[in-house]
Amino acid sequence: MSDPTLLILASLADGDKHGYAMLEDIQRFASVRLGPGTLYGAITRLEQRGWIRAVRWADDRRQPYALTAEGRRHLQAQLSELDQLVKAGLRRLRHA
Amino acid sequence: MKRIARSLIRLYPRQWRVRYGREFAALLEDAELTWRDLADMIAGALCIRQGEYYVMDHPAASPRILDFKDRDIPHGFEMESAIEYTRGDGQPAIVRQFYREIDLGDSYVMISHSARDSEPAQTIVVSGVKGEVSGDFRSDPTEMLVLNPDGSVRHTQQTVNTWLKGEVFREKARASYHSGLEAGLSLDQIFKKWTQNPGLPAS
Repeated sequence: MSDPTLLILASLADGDKHGYAMLEDIQRFASVRLGPGTLYGAITRLEQRGWIRAVRWADDRRQPYALTAEGRRHLQAQLSELDQLVKAGLRRLRHA
Repeated sequence: MKRIARSLIRLYPRQWRVRYGREFAALLEDAELTWRDLADMIAGALCIRQGEYYVMDHPAASPRILDFKDRDIPHGFEMESAIEYTRGDGQPAIVRQFYREIDLGDSYVMISHSARDSEPAQTIVVSGVKGEVSGDFRSDPTEMLVLNPDGSVRHTQQTVNTWLKGEVFREKARASYHSGLEAGLSLDQIFKKWTQNPGLPAS
């Protein structure tokens, strides 16, 4: 899985994070190293779609983001589809 | 490396920098950067500018150069390109762009004309007067006209900090393009070779 928007949503599912924390987290749980341009391109698009939002923070440079309710629903739907795909693929491999 | 990365933020549109510039700069301070990250920033800036979204880590979404021409002309140069991108919804989009830059000695004019698929084009005309040099930057008073696809016109005047080493970088990129053509490389091969070693000037 290398879709950066999905990776960011999954990263924010367990709590608010700023850009660098997302990079570290994604590298840890998905072994994917996003470039800074790719990360902020995805953040821009996710915020425009209303799937994430900037949260108030004392440090005005390291801006954390949070998943919105709509973003959580989208992530849930995407992961359910992936789950079905994985299960179907594994089932077919077992019967091949 | 970090200094070059900070300079590359200038490639992003002004409105985007107002919203994300500070936090983007903070990310660049925190992260261990590589040359690949700098290429990723350049590609990201191009896509933000064109309202598109392109992911370097996703081979299927890499841009495909359909055509590219770079020519020297009296007092300047011009470039034409047709690049196919994969949009965020997975559909392809072709962006055609014409860019011309004329150096008039104490001043300059830049024209950019770009269109996506069959949509109306956007034309940007910038005229600037070369200002005072301080370190690697020159402070230029500029005027910009943006002729939008919907017929509206935006006129702005502002003083822009021009990164002088950026011009060196651009000339190296142009030289790389011409030497690649002479070596018989395809446009994709030239672009790939350049992103692996963009020849950014030392800070």
